[in-house]
Amino acid sequence: MIKNYLKIAFRNLGRHKVFSFINIMGLAVGMTACFLIFLYVRFELSYDSFHSKADRTYRVVADIKTPTEVINADRPAWAVPPNVKDEFPEVESFVRIMNNEVLVRKGDIKFQEENAAWADSSIFHVFDFKLLIGNPQTALKEQFSIVFSETTAKKYFGKENPIGQTLLITGDAFPAKVTGVMKDIPENSQIKADMLLSMTTITQKFNQGLDSQWGSYGARAYLLLKNGTNAKALEKKFPAFLEKRNGTNMKQSQMYPTLFLEPLKDVYLRSTRDGHKSGNINNVYIFSIVAIFILLIACINFINLTTARSAERAKEVGIRKVVGAARVQLTRQFIGESIIICLIAFSLTVFFSWLLLPLFNQLAGKTISHSIFENISYLIILLFAAVGIGFLAGVYPALVLSSFRPVIVLKGKFATGSRGILLRKALVVSQFTISIGLIIATIIVYNQMSYMRNQELGFSKDQVIVMNTYGDSGKDAFKQALTTIPTVKSVATSSSVPGGGNPGAYSEIENIKGDLQVANLDLYFVDFDYINQFKIKMIAGRSFSREFATDTTQAMVLNEAAVKMFGYSSPQQAIGKRFKQWGREGKIIGVMRDFHFRSLQQPIKPLSMRIEPGGCDLVSANVAAANLPATLRAIESKWKTLIPNRPFSYDFLDEFFDKQYRSEERFGKLFLNFAILAIFISCLGLLGLASYSTIQRTKEIGIRKVLGASTSNIVNLLSKDFLKLVAISAVIAFPVAWFAMNKWLQDFAYRIGVSWWVFLMAGILATLIALLTISFQAMKAAIANPVKSLRTE
Amino acid sequence: MIKITDLEKIYRTEEVETVALNKLSLEVKEGEFVAIMGPSGCGKSTLLNIVGLLDDPDTGSFKFNGIEVAKFNERKRADLRKHNIGFVFQSFNLIDELTVFENVELPLIYTGVKSSERKKRVEDVLDKMQIMHRRNHYPQQLSGGQQQRVAVARAVVNKPKLILADEPTGNLDSHNGNEVMQLLTDLNEQGTTIVMVTHSEHDARYSHRIVRMLDGQTVLENIMV
Repeated sequence: MIKNYLKIAFRNLGRHKVFSFINIMGLAVGMTACFLIFLYVRFELSYDSFHSKADRTYRVVADIKTPTEVINADRPAWAVPPNVKDEFPEVESFVRIMNNEVLVRKGDIKFQEENAAWADSSIFHVFDFKLLIGNPQTALKEQFSIVFSETTAKKYFGKENPIGQTLLITGDAFPAKVTGVMKDIPENSQIKADMLLSMTTITQKFNQGLDSQWGSYGARAYLLLKNGTNAKALEKKFPAFLEKRNGTNMKQSQMYPTLFLEPLKDVYLRSTRDGHKSGNINNVYIFSIVAIFILLIACINFINLTTARSAERAKEVGIRKVVGAARVQLTRQFIGESIIICLIAFSLTVFFSWLLLPLFNQLAGKTISHSIFENISYLIILLFAAVGIGFLAGVYPALVLSSFRPVIVLKGKFATGSRGILLRKALVVSQFTISIGLIIATIIVYNQMSYMRNQELGFSKDQVIVMNTYGDSGKDAFKQALTTIPTVKSVATSSSVPGGGNPGAYSEIENIKGDLQVANLDLYFVDFDYINQFKIKMIAGRSFSREFATDTTQAMVLNEAAVKMFGYSSPQQAIGKRFKQWGREGKIIGVMRDFHFRSLQQPIKPLSMRIEPGGCDLVSANVAAANLPATLRAIESKWKTLIPNRPFSYDFLDEFFDKQYRSEERFGKLFLNFAILAIFISCLGLLGLASYSTIQRTKEIGIRKVLGASTSNIVNLLSKDFLKLVAISAVIAFPVAWFAMNKWLQDFAYRIGVSWWVFLMAGILATLIALLTISFQAMKAAIANPVKSLRTE
Repeated sequence: MIKITDLEKIYRTEEVETVALNKLSLEVKEGEFVAIMGPSGCGKSTLLNIVGLLDDPDTGSFKFNGIEVAKFNERKRADLRKHNIGFVFQSFNLIDELTVFENVELPLIYTGVKSSERKKRVEDVLDKMQIMHRRNHYPQQLSGGQQQRVAVARAVVNKPKLILADEPTGNLDSHNGNEVMQLLTDLNEQGTTIVMVTHSEHDARYSHRIVRMLDGQTVLENIMV
């Protein structure tokens, strides 16, 4: 019996190639999209869950209240972790990790290790980073100890045993010893490092006394709680603990931190303190929904085409019933067929996924999976899903088909395909609602992206090359040397450039009432050329000038946002007011127009600028557009002579700034791809239905043509019905998309409005696509000779 | 074998009510060959469908082998049908996706006959119908006459007691038509009861008895000698 079903199923597939193609292709493409998204979602959800103690590991973060603002810091002060461990017996261990770039040299080999981290030795106890060589208890105990990742160790030592080898670290060339090699930290870890250095190097050598620093925030910190500890209860004890150990200091500085514990597994997706470097649970939701939509569209195709084609199967049903088939047997047969189609689609899905995974990894910007065969259980889930889809999508058509009465179908009196027309229409409408919604979303995402990229930022970012000297002693000479290159128009140095990080400084600024008000001010150290070169506009007072000797130590420039924060209604009022900041005191000499020194997701924050040559590690050169490679070569040769110990590297400021939008860009690209897929599958279905309804109406078309209808009349006739459905879909999709996209845009401080033309465009686009799909079939029918079509009856 | 008394069947649409069978009574004895004739719309096909257990009457009695089946539900009808009745249609009604062999095999599958036994019985009957050489062909590859022979083969493969033929020669030329009629006659001579609906006086002459219908009632019976 099963053999008979299989035979029929395969012969049916072979005979109706177009329908089989649409069904199988649609399902396979839908399932592929779904499977890839599934891998992505699984990956995003898997962050940090590989640590065996993840369930009792927490990140310590702090909200710091100043008289001016609340700072949401992703780390506590240096003193917090050791003191917490000391105070609370329920804390088993703490680890502080500070990511930093470190210059590493081994003979002629020199690397600026961008992904280095200083860590307490407990890191191997708290986290499951596995040491391949070395003792996890002691590897990071001693000062100047290094643990390399496997890959990085190979970079320096090849096949040599790295243990016990000495390297030179930092610009000061401290010798450091390799004490361990760990397995590369997996991609799904929010803690990233290619090399770990002992934290004691910092706390006991570079900056003694950090362990008792309550006002300095440097390292991220994690607590491992003892089994059975209630984190919320512990959190509640923190205020009293801070008061006890740090009360005077808090009152003095007027900075009041509140400590929170974030479960380790939630840090990557749910913490909002890491900016664009972290994951986003909303994206996980969005893509999950998109995946379900795509699958839904593919299933709808399947149901639609199968029921639409029911007339063709009606005769078979009739005959089978006449020769003795019971309804159950027929139901089983048709569900079986549907499962077979899904299993074929499954094999195609495996193939497509295998083919597309590298591309998808690239699109996602990380290795979500090395191979789809990496985790067989996922494929098994997919297989079960395929059977499940086959069953669910097959039930309705099977019930419809098996209910046919042989007396009617065998007599040819069967009203072909009229059954379930309403359902079919409803399903087409839902497909197009989803498609139009996705088109609108895609347009808006792209508009927002281009808005962010093209927005006037308030400073000049074109043709600027930024190089980091990491405070190398040769930096001033290097700056000087650059000015001698003819194609370098100007050079400036600073601690920070827009789009990069900058310090937040404990500051006291005279406010409108005349009091010194404490605030955590963003701070740029700059030189005299900086404001000029970046074309930052002054709106009150003056810029830094070499003509004023006091400018080097006693002058500060604020931006408009800062002036407003301290209560001044006009920038002019702030000129001449007092400031205290990081050991310097002086007057505010000027106010600059607000410029976007962070991404457009965030509002422009208050910013201060001061002259401080010692803090200016970044050298920015404004270069002529012509003959750029030669200019770069000239710059590199100056670097090599003046800063020989460090590898030469540079960034173009515009690209560097746009890096902040990388995750949005990825989001946009992924979204675009999946939207196209959704529309493609919808169109496949529409094509199938259109061709089917055309076949259905062959006789009607013949009669109309005999009676004098023109080709365009016929095309109109056939397209009208479908276009009506597209119109209904648009009406449903518009408000939903409007609502959803407005919500999405809320994440951006600077954003586009959702304008009506987007909806119009999406509507027109969907109509055009639908029309194109349908008219192909309609034209064919309209051109056909009516004599032929009428004779078929 | 068949005893029908006061059978009524009325088709209703929203506006029209059509009386297909109007208090019709008919009896067919085992081993008979009965032809039913009458103009289009007189209810012949409705009668045949009810006799074939494909449709149920509104009122009246229908005894099949002495069992009252008029009120049987679909499952029971299907069960009775697959063991006792074979069908031959005007338009052959073969499944296009199945070969000759597989088409004939189908009823045996649904009655649960074992595979080896099926093969033997299908080959037997194909042999008898002289289409053994076409066993692996698909219906579209055969002539009309051959297709109808396959349909007859399928109708008899389960050894039914009753064969219902609905204008079996309607789509055939006279030569092929005569062949099919001869087949039916042979089957009848071997003991199978046959009820045939036809428009053709020529075909009707193969039967023992002609029942003429008009407006849902039998109006005349001719006994053929």
